[in-house]
Amino acid sequence: MSDRNENSGCEPLTLRSVLSEIARLPPWIERLAALHAIPERTRFAMDLCLEEAVSNVIRHGYSGDPDHALTVRCEPVQNGFLTLVVEDDAPPFNPLLVQQQPEPASLGELAVGGQGIHLLKQFADAVEYERKPDGNRLRIRFACSAASQGLPATPHS
Amino acid sequence: MQLSMEELDGGITKVILDGRLDIAGAQAIDLKMNVIAGSKKAVLVDMQKVTFLGSMGLRTLVAPAQAIKGRGGKMVLFAPSDMVENVLRSSNMHTLIPIHHDLPSAVAALQ
Repeated sequence: MSDRNENSGCEPLTLRSVLSEIARLPPWIERLAALHAIPERTRFAMDLCLEEAVSNVIRHGYSGDPDHALTVRCEPVQNGFLTLVVEDDAPPFNPLLVQQQPEPASLGELAVGGQGIHLLKQFADAVEYERKPDGNRLRIRFACSAASQGLPATPHS
Repeated sequence: MQLSMEELDGGITKVILDGRLDIAGAQAIDLKMNVIAGSKKAVLVDMQKVTFLGSMGLRTLVAPAQAIKGRGGKMVLFAPSDMVENVLRSSNMHTLIPIHHDLPSAVAALQ
């Protein structure tokens, strides 16, 4: 294992700004979940939040322009939280300021789209936005069990 | 994402989904779901084998449900996993597209 990933256990993932690249996220999350003994429910939430965050950057941040890239990485577990970080070089956009849609009263009012940011907020334990000089950074935190804090899980022999 | 169909008694169409209803999964079945929405009036979507549901997958369910309702029909969801149901409930979809966990009640809701 290299020095730069010894704490989180997973190499950062660089994605091109096309939706088909999102297919690379689930295997990366699977590896991370295995390393940290992350329970299935948390793995599902990570999967959901990353799909929503990354697709949001590609569709809205980059407006479908395929000539950009974004990075997904995992920070070391700290204070019982594992943090996934999504960084891009798109124009300023804070997804946390997107207003939640009112609860629909009928099927006709149920918005066909626009649920992604709402789901991201619901399924993460904390989400923090930071504007960088050259882009955006979103930190998505998930509570980890005490047994998995700090070190990757020891493989069974 | 795989989609298969089965005709039940009473003019009910059972649509069985199998796999991840993520962006790629939604793209894989959108056209088939639209065809079903345009031709069937009582649709039971079997969610037992759906292992993931994201916002694009929600869209794949909402649009046909709206179209079927617009034609005087009804769509229900059957037996999603706990985690998939959490996504449905978090987006309030469950209040408008009923979720059933036993087949007889799902069928009864369509009759």
